[in-house]
Amino acid sequence: MARNRRADLHTLAGAYALNALLPRDRRRFERHLAACPACADEVRSLRETAARLAAATAVPPSARLREQVFAEVARTRQLPPAADPADRSRLARARWAAAARRRAAAARAGGRARARGTRPLVAATAAVFLIAAVVFGSMALTTQHKLNLAQNRDHMLAAVLTAPDAKMMTAQVRGGGTATIVMSHDTGALAFSSAGLPRLPSREAYELWLMGPPGTRSAAMLPKPTHGMTSPVVASGLRTGDMVELTVEPTAGAPHPTTKPILLMAL
Amino acid sequence: MADGSVHPGRPGRPLRQVPDLAILLNRVGRGDEEAFSAVYEQVAATVFGLVLRVLRDPAQAEEVAQEVLLEIWRTASRFEPGRGSPQAWVAMIAHRRAVDRVRSAEAAARRDDRAAQPPPDYDGVAEAVEAKLEHERVRRCLGSLTELQRESIVLAYYGGYSYPEVADLLGTALGTVKTRMRDGLIRLRDCLGVA
Repeated sequence: MARNRRADLHTLAGAYALNALLPRDRRRFERHLAACPACADEVRSLRETAARLAAATAVPPSARLREQVFAEVARTRQLPPAADPADRSRLARARWAAAARRRAAAARAGGRARARGTRPLVAATAAVFLIAAVVFGSMALTTQHKLNLAQNRDHMLAAVLTAPDAKMMTAQVRGGGTATIVMSHDTGALAFSSAGLPRLPSREAYELWLMGPPGTRSAAMLPKPTHGMTSPVVASGLRTGDMVELTVEPTAGAPHPTTKPILLMAL
Repeated sequence: MADGSVHPGRPGRPLRQVPDLAILLNRVGRGDEEAFSAVYEQVAATVFGLVLRVLRDPAQAEEVAQEVLLEIWRTASRFEPGRGSPQAWVAMIAHRRAVDRVRSAEAAARRDDRAAQPPPDYDGVAEAVEAKLEHERVRRCLGSLTELQRESIVLAYYGGYSYPEVADLLGTALGTVKTRMRDGLIRLRDCLGVA
């Protein structure tokens, strides 16, 4: 009986992906989903299929829609990420600090525990820079809008730093300065911060890129440095085989790199 | 090296030189209006087309499409790349909003007329080339389903009907419609090469 009920629930996956369930059935199915990874996987693939049905019926909207949407965007406040960002980033910073201490200890012990591509002493120093950058960055932000941005960033940052496969790397930047990267293939993202990069004229900024089999993608613009450090930016959409590249671009960013990279790191 | 990323490669899908939607959404989640403009370019036609298909009324479709696009702006930080493609996330928001509207009391009156109407013919509408190609592929794959599978899926997704309503319209048992929706979608998924 119980087995029949479960089998019966499972057949709802199609109707669920098509958004054809009534609220009561939908809640019942969602409870089932939470406990059934295979079903969640099926639902995911069926939703991707439904998205193809959507793409197949695309019709360009009028220019008026665009105007209306952008007028609303200018006065619509965004939601922070779902999880409590404060808790997650506190946890992340604690783990980060613990990792930095371990790395420093490993460096003193001769660095046998070093991760591939990591220079422990530099890494420990860079970790301190990164923490300081987060703290100074947050202090420099005042308005609610900026606070929301900071919370989003901290949330993303926490997700990368707390990932079980998080790996830290540092490198010297051509022309001066140090870059620190923490990356996690599980979350498909990396956090990037820097210290001591050369100061740029006001119309220029540093732009971070991901380069790999899917092409070169702009990942982020580095924020203006505070006390010589840029607070961490998070780049998502990381793919296997990607490299990280840093270039100097106009402040608004460029669609593709236009200057010689001052940093190129294999991940 | 190509400028801009190539669309995640699905079999039979043309490669496009467009910025990765997941990266753009990440930026939108941090308040980047320029990134939202790029997101708009990529998803507006899909959003509007789907909503129009479900509502069949251009004025209402425009209203709902606006709500959907604003929801994308508002909730971009909640998009989790690990849980599916950004395209699926956008389509889900658009479909939910359209269905909410069509199932609301306000629309109930129009609903009965709608059931009797044939689906609107968009052959006269200028579609993007990409959408036309996708349209052809999906049409071909829908054609490979059984009639009951196809009708169940089309009524539910493009018609916005709940599965008990679909069972009613098709004069079929509830259980049968449920399984046909799932079997049909699985077949469609395999035909389209969806990962």
